[in-house]
Amino acid sequence: MSIDYLRTAVAENDSATLIRYVRLHLGDGNEAAGRKEIDKAWVEALKLLLDMPSTDRTFVLETLSSRDAATLAHLFFHLHFYLVTRSGEWIHDGRL
Amino acid sequence: MTDAFETAKQLRPGLWETVNERYPGSMITKVDLVPLAPLRKPLSQTRLTFVSSAGVQPRDSLPFDVVHPVGDFTFRRVPSSSTPADLEIHQIKYPTAGAARDLNVIFPVDRLSELAEDGTIGGLTPNFFSFIGYTIDPAGFERTLAEALADAVAAEGAEAVLLCPA
Repeated sequence: MSIDYLRTAVAENDSATLIRYVRLHLGDGNEAAGRKEIDKAWVEALKLLLDMPSTDRTFVLETLSSRDAATLAHLFFHLHFYLVTRSGEWIHDGRL
Repeated sequence: MTDAFETAKQLRPGLWETVNERYPGSMITKVDLVPLAPLRKPLSQTRLTFVSSAGVQPRDSLPFDVVHPVGDFTFRRVPSSSTPADLEIHQIKYPTAGAARDLNVIFPVDRLSELAEDGTIGGLTPNFFSFIGYTIDPAGFERTLAEALADAVAAEGAEAVLLCPA
């Protein structure tokens, strides 16, 4: 998919096309794999919090309030790969 | 159009249409063509540089941004005197297992040094260049990375460029 194709999808509020691209991106061109990767990251995040370990919420809130939305969106993609890496199941060919 | 344009041929003119059929909106409609520049003197007298989309970079330099959904429009200078041990790959869009065993299969830094030493090529530029090719914005890629890279290659004094897609 192209940037223009996705911009059109944004303009038309075509979320199905946008999430399809996210899945393709995270699944290395395989939409089903990408869907699984997204689930895998969320499962890993949940597992890390189930026992309610101490977390640096001040850092989280300061980051959310002090950084621009694009940086936070970029961080979101980084966090996806961080959590996928933690899961121990790496589907990608290379390394981050 | 120039004479060179009219006499040159795209190697796989139907490729992008095929990609677009399989992945709607895949964009890559490349109707123009930049002809290859002819070599102006013997290779044994020519200073060569190497440009790769393999995501190879000096260890401990800022990793290429492989998570960004659009791509990474930066490049890295890789000293041509590097050894494979000095370098690492940050890239998740192609299999790197072979390159992990011998980087020369994707970034032939040893082989090019050997060719320079035995006089097959006239010499190497102080730096080679590397980037990651994944992007969904080829026009932006061309405007930013490609332009900056072309300037850097020219500034390096390269007389010929070995381009190697990953």
